[in-house]
Amino acid sequence: MRWRGCWRTCFLLALHLVAASAQGEVFNEDLTLRPLRDGKLQARFSFTTLLKGATPRDPVALEQDDEAQHYTLFPLALGQILREHAVTELHLTLNAGKWNYDHWGHPDEPGVGTGAELWVWMGDTAVASVDRRWQGLRNSLAGLFCASLGHLDEQRTTSPTLTFQPEGSLPDFAHPHELRHATLPSEHVCTENLTPFLKLLPCKSLSGIASLLNPHKLFDADWHGLGVHVRYREGAGVEVRLAFQAVIDPVRYSHVGRRDWSLRSLFDHSIEKACPVARSSKVRVVLPSETSYSISPGPSDITDSVATYTVDTAEEALDVSMQWPGESNFKYPATSSVPPLTDISVHRNLKGTSQAEARLTLEITNNLPIYVSAGYLETMPWHLQFYLHTLHAQINDAQRDDLLNIISYTPPVPHSRPALLQAVLTLPPQATLHLTMDVAKPFLRYTEHPPDAQRGWDLPPAVLVPFAFGELSSINGTTAVEPPTMPSDRLKRATAQGRRPRRMYTPVLLVDLATPDFSMPYNVIILSCTLIALTFGTIFNLLTRRFVVVEVDPISVPDTPMADAAADGTPR
Amino acid sequence: MNAAADYAFPALVVARLVLAFVPLPNALKYDQQLSSPLTSYSRLREGIYLLEHGIDPYSGGFFRHSPLLLSLFSTVLPLTRYTSPLLWTAVDSVAAWTLVRIWRLRTGAKHTSRDTQIASLYLLNPYILLPSLAFSTSSMENMLCLLAIMFACRGRASASLFALASLVHLSLPSILLAAPLILLNISRPVSRLALPRPFDIPLRKTLPLITELFGYAALLTLASTIVCGNWLWVEKTWGASLTLPDLSPNPGLWWYFFTEMFDHFRPFFLMVFSVHLLIYIAPICIKFQHDFLFATFLLVGVLAVFKPYPTLSDPGLFLSMFSIFPEIYPYLRHPIVTALIHLHASLLLPLFNSLWLRQGTGNANFFYASTLVFGMGNGAALMDAIWAGLRIAIGELKEGYEVAQE
Repeated sequence: MRWRGCWRTCFLLALHLVAASAQGEVFNEDLTLRPLRDGKLQARFSFTTLLKGATPRDPVALEQDDEAQHYTLFPLALGQILREHAVTELHLTLNAGKWNYDHWGHPDEPGVGTGAELWVWMGDTAVASVDRRWQGLRNSLAGLFCASLGHLDEQRTTSPTLTFQPEGSLPDFAHPHELRHATLPSEHVCTENLTPFLKLLPCKSLSGIASLLNPHKLFDADWHGLGVHVRYREGAGVEVRLAFQAVIDPVRYSHVGRRDWSLRSLFDHSIEKACPVARSSKVRVVLPSETSYSISPGPSDITDSVATYTVDTAEEALDVSMQWPGESNFKYPATSSVPPLTDISVHRNLKGTSQAEARLTLEITNNLPIYVSAGYLETMPWHLQFYLHTLHAQINDAQRDDLLNIISYTPPVPHSRPALLQAVLTLPPQATLHLTMDVAKPFLRYTEHPPDAQRGWDLPPAVLVPFAFGELSSINGTTAVEPPTMPSDRLKRATAQGRRPRRMYTPVLLVDLATPDFSMPYNVIILSCTLIALTFGTIFNLLTRRFVVVEVDPISVPDTPMADAAADGTPR
Repeated sequence: MNAAADYAFPALVVARLVLAFVPLPNALKYDQQLSSPLTSYSRLREGIYLLEHGIDPYSGGFFRHSPLLLSLFSTVLPLTRYTSPLLWTAVDSVAAWTLVRIWRLRTGAKHTSRDTQIASLYLLNPYILLPSLAFSTSSMENMLCLLAIMFACRGRASASLFALASLVHLSLPSILLAAPLILLNISRPVSRLALPRPFDIPLRKTLPLITELFGYAALLTLASTIVCGNWLWVEKTWGASLTLPDLSPNPGLWWYFFTEMFDHFRPFFLMVFSVHLLIYIAPICIKFQHDFLFATFLLVGVLAVFKPYPTLSDPGLFLSMFSIFPEIYPYLRHPIVTALIHLHASLLLPLFNSLWLRQGTGNANFFYASTLVFGMGNGAALMDAIWAGLRIAIGELKEGYEVAQE
């Protein structure tokens, strides 16, 4: 009996694999673990499904019925949404926490803005406009991921094409593609978002690397975020990459303050079974530069200081662990003695104590010894209105407005459209550039305030993209030159040819807007209307009544009745 | 005394100029009593900046000044740290001089002893001085209003109507002044309050004037459209007075009313408040058909109380114009009460604004209450002026007689 059952399972599995590969679906999964220098650990789960030979749906064909799509590994719910709205490229991230670029460096997944961020490239068509499909897409994704993505309406949607270039290729449709980008910084991430995320995986969370995704541990991390990335790779097909990033703090979990970690200590699970339909299933550990650590079990491959483990069901459960036996407890490096890990460091603040106006400041420090050009993007909802003529750049109290070049600015329309500011900043070597701008805080209507009105409104992060490195003259020509004769790791990395510029997100800001008294609508109406009615009534009386001269005799008032008073109608 | 009087006006202007060059504290720059979203200097600079960088200032909802100002300040007269104080001092001086001329035309004399008094009542009035120091464009609106009145008093109809058309372009509620000004063009500005008599409106004289006013307004509208390149400015400038999109606090009565309003009722009450302004024109013009200058003065007062986006300049103009009607002073019933309410409100308005927005120890109701008191003060002044203007017709009474209304 047992043998027959086992043969049946293997037969079905082989049929599955044959079917999948015959259709052209390839599933790979990957876990990258990177110890950070402040004792934390960055974990990045990446589940990629490639639908071979597929192309995004042409929006021109939206009126006709779609051809039948047969998916085995490709997530059906997501695929249906993509074809329903004819989406070419989609990126959705739901993050919580503040990514510390100085200590953690660049993340493996670049979209680390707090809250929900959704940006898509869609082809235009006359049949169904991009905006209508954008709304349908938001609502579909909101239903799929249990996130309130429906709030990403026109008041938060912009089109920042300079910063959010497509990561895949855009097929040649009749009309050009358009970008729609929206952020909701106040969105929270929780298990309700992770559960549908796991349902999109072929093996769910039962086997393979996805079995490590334990919500109790993941949402306790210092930073965590999940992402869905769909892109079209020309010559390959449509690729869906589901990613989960977390920055976990083993020092916090350990009782003695050690930074030793293992999969079991991090996620409370180890990888017991491999996902049968995964073509490759790997766990990569980025080995730290110092040599005082030990890693177990032995990796199957070490290249370029990355240890790779292949998840294989034939062996026992995989539990990677790293210890530092020489350390008794972890000592945090002094912030002043360690340089920032990224090329530029950004701080954005909103200064001022008034609820009518404020000052937005941005401090960018260039950590490289060469000029850096960075694109600066602000998509600010109309809850903060820029006085663009007060935007000034300073270095060490000297006015340097020449370093700021505004490429485009779309002014905000209240209740309708956010502001979009795209600029290019030129950062001199090892200098800190201060940008300041006066902003006005608008006054909202009674019905526009959220339930907890005194908390304020979350403002989306600004995005900086350092894209050109080198001498100043070459910056203007936007090409990178050979670095000066000062080789360093970072310099080599910075000027490597063909490297895609990486986005950096600032933290979100909170702006408190003046609130009216919410208990007062009736009182205000009656008080104002009383004043207006009194004034109008008195003026009406004065203008329409006749004047009469009345005789009032002061001596005889106590004796004679009031009928003595003559009512004469003639003015003198 | 004559020599001193001759030098008084230039001395005032110079003192005003010196004051204008004092570095402007930020508190005045963004102060909500002194400049409204329609008159703010920062927004004007922002619009000019956007225009110079090829962005349509009217595509956003922030810039609400007239395209005429936009074209003036971006081409002929750049606004810098030095030109702005000079310009605003010149505007105030012209307005004060115009007020003196109106007074002279009303009394029919070339020089009077009250000239200096009137000029200083305008230039030193804090309600007019402070918005002018904050570079609010409401000072220009005041100047245009006084110029329109002055040209109408002199009988120069074209100049008067052109000034009125420009004023309406800057501020739509000033259309209230169209009727009495057109009729003032036809009649004389000399005080007839004491001798009321009916006035037959000669249609053959008024219709051409109305047509001329529409012509000037159409010309300016066409010029504005050419400057902008599209019709967006209409909705953003004139439409702002009708739909109240920006709910920034100001000394008026509209902003908090429409802040606390539910969306369902908003269009109805906007319509009611706008029509309410219009219903004062006919009764005041009919009741004061013997003295249209006084009717204009009263409608300026109506605007001061009930305008959608007022600043302190609007009641300032009304109170300064009291000085050209000295004949009504004996008949004012409660001048001291009005003055005290004004003092009360003018001290509380900036205090409660600061408590609400800057210090956070008060809330919006404090400032709203002070605007109600301010509205009461202006309303009391208006009602007193109407009563005095009507009472003067009855004249002196013998002992034992009182005037009443039935």
